[in-house]
Amino acid sequence: MNERILVALALVTLPAFAGADSQWVLQQSTLTYHVSHPLHQTEGVSHAAKGKGICHAGQCEFLIAVPVKSFDSGDSNRDLHMLQVTRGAEFPLVTVRTRLPESAAASAIINADLEIQFAGQTAQYKQVPFKVETQGGETHIAGTIPATLADFKIDPPSLLTMPIKSDIPVRVEMTWRQQ
Amino acid sequence: MGKVVDASGNPIANATVTATSVDNGQVRTAGTGPDGSYRFEGLPPGKYRLKFEADGLKKLEIPSATVDGTETAVPDARPEAGETIASKPTPSPQDNLPNAPSSSKTEPSLSDLGLSPEQTRGNPREQALLDKRTHMLKIHQRMGLITTVPLIATVIASMSAGGKSTSTATRDLHTALGGLTGDLYGITAYYAIRAPRVPGTETRGPIRFHKAMAWIHGPGMIMTPILGIVAFDQKSKGEKIHGIASAHGPVAIVTAGAFGAALLSVSVKF
Repeated sequence: MNERILVALALVTLPAFAGADSQWVLQQSTLTYHVSHPLHQTEGVSHAAKGKGICHAGQCEFLIAVPVKSFDSGDSNRDLHMLQVTRGAEFPLVTVRTRLPESAAASAIINADLEIQFAGQTAQYKQVPFKVETQGGETHIAGTIPATLADFKIDPPSLLTMPIKSDIPVRVEMTWRQQ
Repeated sequence: MGKVVDASGNPIANATVTATSVDNGQVRTAGTGPDGSYRFEGLPPGKYRLKFEADGLKKLEIPSATVDGTETAVPDARPEAGETIASKPTPSPQDNLPNAPSSSKTEPSLSDLGLSPEQTRGNPREQALLDKRTHMLKIHQRMGLITTVPLIATVIASMSAGGKSTSTATRDLHTALGGLTGDLYGITAYYAIRAPRVPGTETRGPIRFHKAMAWIHGPGMIMTPILGIVAFDQKSKGEKIHGIASAHGPVAIVTAGAFGAALLSVSVKF
């Protein structure tokens, strides 16, 4: 019966890609958030993002997802606290969606409108610039998302009664490959 | 809006349909009417995990939101029973950016990324555990800071409590401050010890040093007042502090030093 269910689900899923002209797959990524506190400057890094882009009729829809708990700041206590304040167990993924023209890969800079879901909230960032470099079939992009805690209704955590700044810029470095 | 019917096409009334957002874990529930139809009012666009439950039929889950109006025949485990499901979440209008994501069929979903349901599903119990842990450690942190004040005062008072010319009042002050420090320290330690552990978490970074220091100041906070009582007793009898009681001062200094180092290790980045 399980096989029949799988077949049925596959039938449901397949039409979604039937019209795709090409796809992009995220090969490597480094996402780094930066946190400022009067006594600390901290960065948390994740290499666990997964992403896919599906192009159709000249437009590509991208989805990138990264587990909240994959960010490592070098201190397990801080990471667990970050997981708690961002409600990372309840909302385990950060997802980023964007739509770009297929020709964007040939540009030196792309300005992307991002829709980010994080901590149960959705925030939109308009015209975020990313540098684009294409080498040997791989496209590297790099940029910084000007995220803030307030965008996602997260109360800034405190250390020694001093809260961190709301600004948590996220540095994005990604390598994509077209299939 | 969608419809739940059995293998013969007969509508299933009073079935429960649960839509869980794959993206943010938000849950919406709807029931089917006499004709088997259900509707999620104002359901935001996105990917959903759908669960169908009805009396006498096996629970059915569709992990992917790419259902999108496509009819699917999914036989039930019972030979004579089955379910046919047609599901189409009804999107609501949202703000459109110039090149905002569209809800077209070419849009990738989380299942396309190879993420397992365990990775995408929220865990309220783990969140509750984290909330409790953070709540207790916040109290631990605040109590630790508060404890620092009488601790420093006790050390300062000790400078004039151990000499030959010291008065009983000075020693009493030192003793009282030491007692207050011990009590506050006990509360501080309680909240650290009782804070729930998160399974599968490896201790890394400055918190390791912070915890290691506890193995010094913890026993020290027990030993110091015991030695202090012996020293106090000797002093009250007009004796010079001797024997094991002479360790009161050094043990207290090591204890206070370890406590301060523990505090600094999580406060200042070296």
